[in-house]
Amino acid sequence: MTDRPRPFARVLIANRGEIAVRIIRACRELGMASVAVYSDADAAASHVRLADEAVRIGPPAPTESYLRIDRIVEAALETGAEAIHPGYGFLAERAAFAKACEDAGIVFVGPSSSSIEALGDKLAARRTAAEVGVPSVPGTLEPVPVDRPDAVEKIVERAAEIGFPVMVKAAAGGGGRGMRRVDRPEDLPAALAAGSAEAAAAFGDGSVYIERVIQPARHIEVQLLGDASGTVVALGERDCSIQRRHQKLVEEAPAPGLSTDQRHRLHELAIRVAAAAGLRNAATCEFLFDGRREFYFLEVNTRLQVEHGVTELVSGLDIVHEQFWLAAGEPLSQRALAAAERAATPTSHAIEARIAAEDPARAFAPTPGRISRWVMPAGPGIRVDTGIEAGDRVPPEYDNLIAKLMVHAADRPAAIDRLRRSLDETEIGGIQTTVPFHRFVADDAAFGAGDLSTDFVGDRWDGQAHQARAVRVGLLAAALDHFSGDAERDGPVSPGAGPARGPGGEGRDGHDGRDRPLADRPASWRVAALAAGRDRWPR
Amino acid sequence: MAQVIPSGRGLRVRPGRRSQVAGVDPIVAAPPDPPGSIDDPVRGPSGSGLLVDGTLEDVRLERRGPDRAQLRWAEDPGPAARVVFIGGPVLGPDGVTRQEVLVDGWRVEVELEDERRAALRERARRAAEAVGHGGPTEVRSVFPGRVVSVAVATGDPVVAGQPLLVIEAMKMQNELRSPREGRVAQVEVGPGTKVDVGDLLLAIE
Repeated sequence: MTDRPRPFARVLIANRGEIAVRIIRACRELGMASVAVYSDADAAASHVRLADEAVRIGPPAPTESYLRIDRIVEAALETGAEAIHPGYGFLAERAAFAKACEDAGIVFVGPSSSSIEALGDKLAARRTAAEVGVPSVPGTLEPVPVDRPDAVEKIVERAAEIGFPVMVKAAAGGGGRGMRRVDRPEDLPAALAAGSAEAAAAFGDGSVYIERVIQPARHIEVQLLGDASGTVVALGERDCSIQRRHQKLVEEAPAPGLSTDQRHRLHELAIRVAAAAGLRNAATCEFLFDGRREFYFLEVNTRLQVEHGVTELVSGLDIVHEQFWLAAGEPLSQRALAAAERAATPTSHAIEARIAAEDPARAFAPTPGRISRWVMPAGPGIRVDTGIEAGDRVPPEYDNLIAKLMVHAADRPAAIDRLRRSLDETEIGGIQTTVPFHRFVADDAAFGAGDLSTDFVGDRWDGQAHQARAVRVGLLAAALDHFSGDAERDGPVSPGAGPARGPGGEGRDGHDGRDRPLADRPASWRVAALAAGRDRWPR
Repeated sequence: MAQVIPSGRGLRVRPGRRSQVAGVDPIVAAPPDPPGSIDDPVRGPSGSGLLVDGTLEDVRLERRGPDRAQLRWAEDPGPAARVVFIGGPVLGPDGVTRQEVLVDGWRVEVELEDERRAALRERARRAAEAVGHGGPTEVRSVFPGRVVSVAVATGDPVVAGQPLLVIEAMKMQNELRSPREGRVAQVEVGPGTKVDVGDLLLAIE
């Protein structure tokens, strides 16, 4: 193993959670030592447990830990890491971080700082797309001066020209942060301020711009890989239309309903933008699709995407492995080129459900807390990427994605069946998660028909109604459980509270619940009486 | 077949605070009376039928190991509801037993309490409410996070739906709006305040 070629000897992973775990796994597979970094909130987190080395970089607040470029570069130098993989989020699309790595002589696993600048800044990317004739969503090409009250009138005027409703977006954005939909001119100044503040907190850059809302629309993106020679290939597209707060909840590959011609055209548009910006390594080109024929360029994410796994399942390519080889200066591999050849004619289907710590009955409000039960599905065609174990705490400081459940099957209907089956096996206790929403999606007729839109959640999901049914079942189950006086489970109401009983009523012998005072446990006496008189029960 | 619940033998079963949702009211549950009103020759009377608010529901809890079960209605041929009991029921110092149940991915908090005791408590609560009639509406945080900004001050008139403050949680800025029309009676937090679930933020009177 020591003699086989590997991209690097030692890699630092500048991230946390499931993506840090996923990258550490790739490091181990490629024979590279891994270095984790962590904040005080993550001292016992899975990425720290799995890595070969771990370096503390600061307190829980992201601005004092995972966003500290100086600390992370220092940790890499101290541990002798030759490369840094940024994952997604945090510093992944910050040109300053890539530059700091380049200056320190450390390989940044991603595009060059200049390419990140050209593409990661969404405004610059819109200008690049315009230069190579790729149509974008109509909107501004320069940042909005949010800090100048005197400019407010002009901004509202410009937005009216673009046409309400408009979307306020963070130039440095990703994952929906800093994004706001604005329907009325009078709401625009407040939305710009809030979006800018959110963007500044999340990315350290509060620049925002305005874009027209395309509705109805599907969100379709293309996975790209590029090498140092300037070759860029597309590995396939993903449909990520099902979103809440402009953050994706369900993704699939390939995008259902596209013809081979449409697929070819979409991949070609994506390659054109990326090649113009001198893309190297992995990136994703995002488009809005009006459902008929037009693809509108949205932005390029110059990093590994959360949902890269569905493309891996369909293409058979390990994108993180490829990232490391490309970062080490290798040309695009034969594997990658072959996968690109097949990209327009996919022969299987994959779906990802993003399981997040959110309450789908309360507008997907965050639900950080301790996870008391954690059972993930398994079996054919299932992949789960997570950094969670039972007993772990989901900290309030970070992203609320806790697991990515991916299913892979021969075609889309089979993948949906597999999704439904795997969600049945999923058990998460202690915090509310988005699992009920995913169960709904797997059962939904419109989803099954490939009738996708970014309005899916707002149009079709009634979380409270679904919750009400479950609560009703929960009340009956808890009551029946109480009356059946169960000693099989741990932690009964009080010691010796009732007879043990299993399915079919076995295991009742030797119970001691018979002589409990009535007042202690209402009606449990009745159950004891039932147990005693079972054989004499009248038909 | 309807039965009158014998006084004091029932349990008040209600959703816990986080599981309260429109359309689900607390129930009074009791075993069938006489015992075994619904007889299952295979499974015996255990878990067969439940008196819900005095009406017999032919519903059965089938155990699947120590913490899993399936809830099945006799008249419903469809698949049973799968439930997972998360931890055991916990009897609190307030006399209320709490149980977390997982149903279709929903985390359901259930509170069980002696029916008579629940009735006493309710009466006491109503009396307290009558005393404080027309009192202020408390706005409490529904998730842990940090207050970013407060848009109102004590004494400000507000209308229902008016933005009150912004709380940041998990990097998202969440705007809290006024639940009713009135006047701000007190403001308990300011920019930077860390808040937990249930913390008092401000009150509207």
